[in-house]
Amino acid sequence: MTMADDTEDVELDFAADEQERARRSAVLRHPLASFFHLFFRVVAIVAYLLCDWISENFAPCFVLIITLLSFDFWSVKNVTGRLLVGLRWWNQIDDDGKSLWVFEAKKASRGNNIGTEAEARIFWLGLIICPLIWTFFFFTSLFSLKIKWLSLVVASISLQVANLYGYLRCKAVGEDGQPADSRSFTGQHLLQRPDIIFGIL
Amino acid sequence: MAASDEASRQFAGLSDVSISEDIPVEGDISVPLGPSSRQRDDEFSTLDEPVKETILRDLRAVGSKFIHVLYPKRSTALLRDWDLWGPLLLCVTLALLLQGGAADSDDQGGPQFAEVFVIVWFGSIIITLNSKLLGGTISFFQSLCVLGYCIMPLTAAMAVCRIVLVGGAGKVSFAVRLVVVTLSFGWSTFASTAFLGDSQPPGRKALVVYPVFLFYFVIGWMILTFSPSQ
Repeated sequence: MTMADDTEDVELDFAADEQERARRSAVLRHPLASFFHLFFRVVAIVAYLLCDWISENFAPCFVLIITLLSFDFWSVKNVTGRLLVGLRWWNQIDDDGKSLWVFEAKKASRGNNIGTEAEARIFWLGLIICPLIWTFFFFTSLFSLKIKWLSLVVASISLQVANLYGYLRCKAVGEDGQPADSRSFTGQHLLQRPDIIFGIL
Repeated sequence: MAASDEASRQFAGLSDVSISEDIPVEGDISVPLGPSSRQRDDEFSTLDEPVKETILRDLRAVGSKFIHVLYPKRSTALLRDWDLWGPLLLCVTLALLLQGGAADSDDQGGPQFAEVFVIVWFGSIIITLNSKLLGGTISFFQSLCVLGYCIMPLTAAMAVCRIVLVGGAGKVSFAVRLVVVTLSFGWSTFASTAFLGDSQPPGRKALVVYPVFLFYFVIGWMILTFSPSQ
């Protein structure tokens, strides 16, 4: 009985080891997350360009782009950030009503499921380039005096820049030598920095 | 075979348990920082939850807030976990319902649509800044959340008005619409001050309630003066 148990144990470890090796050497550990990280943002930009040139009805276009960017905001903030680069930021309200922004960064350690180099590159490029494109749209719509599109562009910029700012703060926490707060969860070290943004938010 | 025989003999009795030297023993002992971090631990373990769970959790939170606006008891559910999904949904619904009016028949609903968005969001931001400058303890996004969710009665009134207008645009329909819009305006203002009132220093409540009153009045006015294009 014990002999059979021993051999079974050895087999299991073997399979798990191989899985570990395959996971670590994969180019993209989270292909679905990487895809969705870019999907909503790129489709929103494409939709804006197409709506602008075809000159369709304004209202459905507005709703479509705002919906896409809201989905993008939610998925980047809640899913792709923690899966691709191990960063997370959120807002919490204390019992006495004080609002606090918390920026969290996962320290790289063995057994971590954070994304690879390629995924980190996808994450940051997607996060930085899209707000730049929307800023460009801001100036084009401003100078061509298409004011109603300006409201859409301003809303888009604020949604995109919010995530960019949040993740840059998280990255700063991760690179700081002295975190304000640190705790361990299942052996992975997490660094936290609680904050109030601009004294108002 | 002989080795495993020996191993089984070694573990035969519980009093004789020994660990072979070439099995490394390692681990991490960490003490959570306190009750708040335990709550965060639970939330951080949502790291591995499937995305569907996350979506359902957020949907349930939005739904419960809608119910809280329907029955504005003095509770802090709207304030503790704010989210802006409800306000966005309500704003889009209101803007779509205000489409097809006579005022913008030649522009395919362009300015009217963006107007609603700008009025709702810019108005909410101004009211929030006002309440913060008056020394309110509520946070920026909490206030936006409350003001946005309390637009729900007015959106419902808009839907009712559209239905009433299908039957004609005469005096009776106007009277009905007036009553409906006034009631929902009162409900919105009452609900939002019930949630926002606590966070203001005493003696300043009127200064904070007045812009909220104006805000919902403007939205109610837009709803009441809506007339469908022929």
